[in-house]
Amino acid sequence: MTEKACLCFHCGEPVPPACKLTVETEAQQQPVCCSGCQAVANLILSTGQSRYYQFRTATAMKPTEEDIDTGETWKRYDERHTLWGTPLKDGRYELLLQVEGIRCAACAWLIRSQLESREGIEQVQVDVATGFVRINWRPDKQKLSRIAAKLSGVGYRPHLPLAGAESLGRQQERRDALKRLGVAGLGMMQVMMFAAGLYAGDAMGISESFERFLQWISLVVTTPVLLYSGRVFYTSAWRSLSNHRVGMDVPVALAISIAFIMSCVNFFTGHGHVYFDSVVMFIFFLSLGRYAELVIRHRNLQTCLALARLLPEWAELINDGQTEKVPATDLRVADMVRVRAGHTFPADGLLVSGSTEVDEALLTGESRPVEKHIGDKVIAGSINRAQTVEVEVNKDPDDFTVSVMGRMLLKSQTHRSRYTRLSERYAGWFVAVVLIVASLTAAWWVTHDMTMLVPATLAVLVISCPCALSLATPAAVASSSRALLEQGVLLTRSAALEALGAINTIVFDKTGTLTSGLPSVVNTVINPIREEYSKDQVSRIAALLEIDSSHPVSKAFADVVVDRSSVREIINHENGVQGRVEGTRYRLGNGAFTNVNVVDLKDGYGRLWLADQNGWIARFDLDDGLRDSAAESMAALRAAGFELIILSGDHPQAVASVAQRTGIDTWYAEQSPAMKMEFLKSLQKDGKNVVMVGDGINDAPVLSVANISMTVSGASELANSTADFIITGKSLKYIVYILLAGEKTRSIIRQNLLWALGYNLLAVPFAAAGFIVPWMAALGMSLSSLLVVLNSGRLARSGLQSDLMKRTGLATT
Amino acid sequence: MSILYVLIPLAVVLLAIAIWALLWAIKNGQFEDLESHGWSVVLDDDQKPPRESKTPENVNNDVKQ
Repeated sequence: MTEKACLCFHCGEPVPPACKLTVETEAQQQPVCCSGCQAVANLILSTGQSRYYQFRTATAMKPTEEDIDTGETWKRYDERHTLWGTPLKDGRYELLLQVEGIRCAACAWLIRSQLESREGIEQVQVDVATGFVRINWRPDKQKLSRIAAKLSGVGYRPHLPLAGAESLGRQQERRDALKRLGVAGLGMMQVMMFAAGLYAGDAMGISESFERFLQWISLVVTTPVLLYSGRVFYTSAWRSLSNHRVGMDVPVALAISIAFIMSCVNFFTGHGHVYFDSVVMFIFFLSLGRYAELVIRHRNLQTCLALARLLPEWAELINDGQTEKVPATDLRVADMVRVRAGHTFPADGLLVSGSTEVDEALLTGESRPVEKHIGDKVIAGSINRAQTVEVEVNKDPDDFTVSVMGRMLLKSQTHRSRYTRLSERYAGWFVAVVLIVASLTAAWWVTHDMTMLVPATLAVLVISCPCALSLATPAAVASSSRALLEQGVLLTRSAALEALGAINTIVFDKTGTLTSGLPSVVNTVINPIREEYSKDQVSRIAALLEIDSSHPVSKAFADVVVDRSSVREIINHENGVQGRVEGTRYRLGNGAFTNVNVVDLKDGYGRLWLADQNGWIARFDLDDGLRDSAAESMAALRAAGFELIILSGDHPQAVASVAQRTGIDTWYAEQSPAMKMEFLKSLQKDGKNVVMVGDGINDAPVLSVANISMTVSGASELANSTADFIITGKSLKYIVYILLAGEKTRSIIRQNLLWALGYNLLAVPFAAAGFIVPWMAALGMSLSSLLVVLNSGRLARSGLQSDLMKRTGLATT
Repeated sequence: MSILYVLIPLAVVLLAIAIWALLWAIKNGQFEDLESHGWSVVLDDDQKPPRESKTPENVNNDVKQ
């Protein structure tokens, strides 16, 4: 009864039965779903890039009519210098375009090969992860509109360039950090090698001339590394000192300086040991941490900028009855714009003519379209679902709800950066303490026994090398984040795993988080006098009628497998759909549309009726479907002693229904993002440590206020950018896993720290007293680090998984 | 063992070359796009499509300098 669905060669969507369009590949005729896909596929095939289809790992974006005339629209901006990007030397410009539709590495190749062979385009870089394309080009040889047309010609939608200078600055910052890291890394490898010789010499004897030589070479390599890679720590330390604060970089700078200066003094006076290896190693590991942090920060920033992508670039401005396409950023208060059905509102404003349904899902998480009439407010970024309308802009672009949300987000993100460098700060102070102990040791031996001065001081320094201690946390976090990743949970901020320990309250968003955000049929009722129909039969008929519908309600029937050729004459109406299935004409819709004399209930998604000319046959009760194992997971969390709360922007009835089904007692309805933020802050003021679980763009600011944030599968980019944990699986049981993994990680970290500190506390007095010779200290230090790493490795092995199974009773895969 | 007096400075010279190469690579954006270039090996044809400037359509559209 099922027919093998015929999918479009280009975009992978089903081909409508009436569509007979094809494209010709080397081997055969392939079906396409629309003329847009046909044009794009033909262009790709004709330029000899058919391999794109062979190697791509994701299907392409379906091009719209608008994409095809992109070149025309952009032509008017060819002369606008501000859109060309950042000017470089000799007339070249660097243009950073955000491009929609980049889904896999084959896309990047396609874009590069389309653009790079063109006159005036020198270099093209494509970032698949963020969808940014960086083009190094000469505006005098190539027009902006042609670049845009080329991109849209192969099915990628370019957006107006964002602030170019700023992004170039970020690129420079990233490159500088990478250079510092690379220099420190290469330098470290060399100096460590010389140090190995020196340590071996301590143990087995070394001629003095060789020792001097190795020390001298170490100094030669260390000095440039310190000056180049280590300089940032000095500038940062100086900046905080000149602001009368002891910043985190002060002990770092102090440690590096003391170790370096002591080594130099020892080297030039000709007796005593050198610690150049410690200096470069410390610089390298700090640079590594800084670089990772920088990459994450830049990615978040770019996602914030991508908020702009929610808004259309072009708006249809109405001027004396004529419409004109203008960049949406040019819109000002009191401008009139026309918004066609299916398009996105370019600005906040009031509806002045027409009435329509608006999808505000991106902003509120609510997938049900909202009716809007003349005088109602519409928000930039929401989608016009029904009719063409005219809107009077009532805010400047900076005051749009979306822009305000973006600013809220940026502010709260800078606010929370406090705990990102916590472990580094401890390492810094630890080094400072070690150095003080070492100088005390040195001072004591100077007054008592000069011959013991060097070995004892050195033993203290080597044995208490903060390796094990600074590895304790990162090693444990790394293994457990690997274990979590295998379960489909992405950890974005390592400090979050440690912070999980203090959590006692979990706050959930409703729509899209606890629920799947899509309607599902919770109950099917057959009319008692029409018992010739079975439940399976009516849901099949309903699925057939809804087969090509884009209305959210149609998703309720998306799982029913049907043969699309058995439905004919589908007509979509405002309140329902009608069509002929196997000879009988059916209507599916609300009570009025199907001529059923009942009062429609307004809870959930309401009810759908199926009828033919003899009256109603069946009734479908729709509601927001819960996510997988929502109820079980909530029960497990409650049993573990967490306080569970629902905060939703939805109306009370819908929230109550979900609260009841998940067994959560505390819930608040009709909450705006600002109210949610206030609520979370008041919880935190009461001493609660809060996990926020959300998905929508409206949740993003709230997520960033919470102590720990998690997003669930299908969450918006922006929400993900603020999340500590990104759950890629569909089920809510992963929240339980994360909390358990956190517990387990913390116990491993405690063991590691205990070991590292205990070892240091135990060994340092012996070293200071002169009982431990340097080579023993070096061996002890390495073994201590190794033990920490091995202990952490326990997390990544079967330990975590089997524990999860045992503790939750939920299957782990 | 006195060969070490030659070998170790040689290693330092090689290190300097490695650092110079790394800095050059970073400056030229070799680390910016780690994905798509690997695909070029598999995907690119040996024969490039003709340069756009040779098509008659583009001659008409050429920007006057």
